[in-house]
Amino acid sequence: MTDTDDDLDMRLVALAARAPGRDDPPSLSPGRRRGRFAAPLALAAILVLGVVATAAGAVVVQTMAEGRPGIENPGQPLAGANMECMTPPQAAAFLAAHGYRDVVWQVETGQVTDGGGGKGPSSTSEQATAPEHGYVIPASVAGDGKLHMVVDQRAGATGVGACFGMPMP
Amino acid sequence: MRSSPLAAIQPQLATASVTDPAAFEAAVRPHYANLVRRLVVVLGDENDAQDVAQETYLRAFRSWDRFDGGDVRAWLYTIGLRLAFNQLRGRRRWLAAIQRIEPRTWTDPSDPDLWAALRTLDPRTRTALLLSAVDGYTQREIGVILGAPEGTVASWLSRGRAALRRELGRDG
Repeated sequence: MTDTDDDLDMRLVALAARAPGRDDPPSLSPGRRRGRFAAPLALAAILVLGVVATAAGAVVVQTMAEGRPGIENPGQPLAGANMECMTPPQAAAFLAAHGYRDVVWQVETGQVTDGGGGKGPSSTSEQATAPEHGYVIPASVAGDGKLHMVVDQRAGATGVGACFGMPMP
Repeated sequence: MRSSPLAAIQPQLATASVTDPAAFEAAVRPHYANLVRRLVVVLGDENDAQDVAQETYLRAFRSWDRFDGGDVRAWLYTIGLRLAFNQLRGRRRWLAAIQRIEPRTWTDPSDPDLWAALRTLDPRTRTALLLSAVDGYTQREIGVILGAPEGTVASWLSRGRAALRRELGRDG
């Protein structure tokens, strides 16, 4: 296949959204300490690599490598749902009807290009409710147990999948 | 369950420069999850990403008084990504020393072709593409974050996209 820059960028956005981003940092207040103490970076790196160097470590690392297929992938619960053709509120209702209650909506705003052929300015934000408009890009359930959905609201965006090129909802 | 980054900071409170931990926490907390996600893609390993994120927040905490009050996300990315590159260099040396191949990495089964193509890029090119396509930073801003001239960033982006298209075309 030949990807345009827009296609490539949206695939990168979706891939980055699927990468695990668990662990909201805990409170800094000394009186509200929670969580475990972590080893300093250098020590942690040595420990991780030391574990990898052992047979037992190989098993540990293998169990940590988590695959998180997209929810519309073949064999996944919503395979063939074509949520990319829905408005964000429709996708939210669809997800709720299928039992997905904990959804993170990652909204991409700005513009795809700067008008001169370069990359346009854009920004990313996350919210708990679906935005009113934008192209829906189904992602996957991340390590925090939340389903991450990307909504592309950037000017010049084209959508993906079955509804590539359709007007932005 | 991995430990959280700010938990590691607690012992540093006595020597830290932060006079208002609540303000610091409010400023940096919203960016943690996305920092980890970027680090996972750069490092290819969720555990390494968590470790670097912890160190990033520790260093940010220590140097909060030197933060200029601008884009806190870019500031955190600057710290975290440079730490990640240092770790990659160290890991390569260590793996070479014991003659082992790379440890098992995080993979993206939803788009394995793109993930495989990304892994063929050098880390800085991969990172520049992420900062551009995912985070929307300009070439100048990426240059500041990665400590590289704007022209170099432009080259990374151009060659990186071309390499991805070539790899994806080969596999597609």
